[in-house]
Amino acid sequence: MAEGIISYILDIVRKSGGHVVVFKVAVGEFSQFDKRLIEELLMELAKGTELERANIIVEIEKAMVNCLYCDSKWGFHELIEHLPDDQKEMIHFLPELLNSFSKCPTCGKSDLEIEKGRSVRVVEVELDV
Amino acid sequence: MFEPDIGLDFRDEMIKRRFERIDQTILITSGKGGVGKSMVAATMAALMAKAGMSVGLLDADVYGPSSAFIFGVRSLPREDRHGLVPPVSNGVKVMSLDLFIAGRPLPMSGRGARQIIKEVLALTDWGTLDCLIVDTPPGTGDVLMTLIKTIGDRSGSIVVTLPTALSKSVVRRVIEILLATQIPLFGVLENMSYIANSKARPLGHGEGKSLALEFGLKFLGELPIDYKAAEAADAGDVQSLLQTDFARTLLILLKKSNLLTAKFKN
Repeated sequence: MAEGIISYILDIVRKSGGHVVVFKVAVGEFSQFDKRLIEELLMELAKGTELERANIIVEIEKAMVNCLYCDSKWGFHELIEHLPDDQKEMIHFLPELLNSFSKCPTCGKSDLEIEKGRSVRVVEVELDV
Repeated sequence: MFEPDIGLDFRDEMIKRRFERIDQTILITSGKGGVGKSMVAATMAALMAKAGMSVGLLDADVYGPSSAFIFGVRSLPREDRHGLVPPVSNGVKVMSLDLFIAGRPLPMSGRGARQIIKEVLALTDWGTLDCLIVDTPPGTGDVLMTLIKTIGDRSGSIVVTLPTALSKSVVRRVIEILLATQIPLFGVLENMSYIANSKARPLGHGEGKSLALEFGLKFLGELPIDYKAAEAADAGDVQSLLQTDFARTLLILLKKSNLLTAKFKN
């Protein structure tokens, strides 16, 4: 995934013809990636590229889930804390599997949709053109 | 400073890299449910593997996954540093959501379906393949559109229909969508045309061929209603499936159309 991010940012750099001063990456809580590990990976992959001097910021994006049936909103942990570890691991890979293993605590329906916190996204790029 | 559009998703790059290692991708489409897409997809994958090809089968029917069942696969994909490695059965790498949910229902919005199919495409480590067969869900909804958007430029399609006017009226819509996308259409395959070892045609006659003619597509041929194939699928017994009239006929039709080993270019 880190390779995908670097490749994506490099594409932006090459298209713009400028330098990336800062780029910010939001690491979704669903992904369960370690913030420091992602920072280190990105810095390592940036070495020797146009991104070597960029300030890399990694922030955690809280995973939020919306019940499409009753419109209540839930944090990820509230919906999976009761699940066994093997099911948590599957949801880590494919967050939409949440609907197979969990229900909305308010209405009891499995009509949950992930609003935020899915994966690793580039949310901000500051260019010096 | 700018905030990248959410559509600029780095998973696209991951998918692109994965598919650079796959020689050809064939979407088994129909638009109509119950025409036997999954049986065609699974049997085709097994026939290709038997012919010595390196083959993957992606069950993209997120609402009614059945490929894992047909192949009798129960084990979870293995996690490694490159992604999720699909289990292998009868020489075919099989990836299906059913490997994760094991028969549980999976209610999902259209947006959720788009996301999960993209995650599966990005995370599945197929390695190098001669061919990836994709079993698509019925309808012209989010999953089919996501597949077209993400891997359409490196895919071709076989359209499956039944020998009925009703099926023809639904499948026609998928053909129109696919033709608008520039995805090569290898042709129309008519399933359940006649009862195996019999001349009986309980569902009708000629609709598949007439559908192909209507769009100037190749008519790939007719497949039988074969109870032995259904029994083999129910038992998750691919070796028995390969011995059926259904599989033998499909093999002949694929060879005749040069689809078993031929490479295509978009």
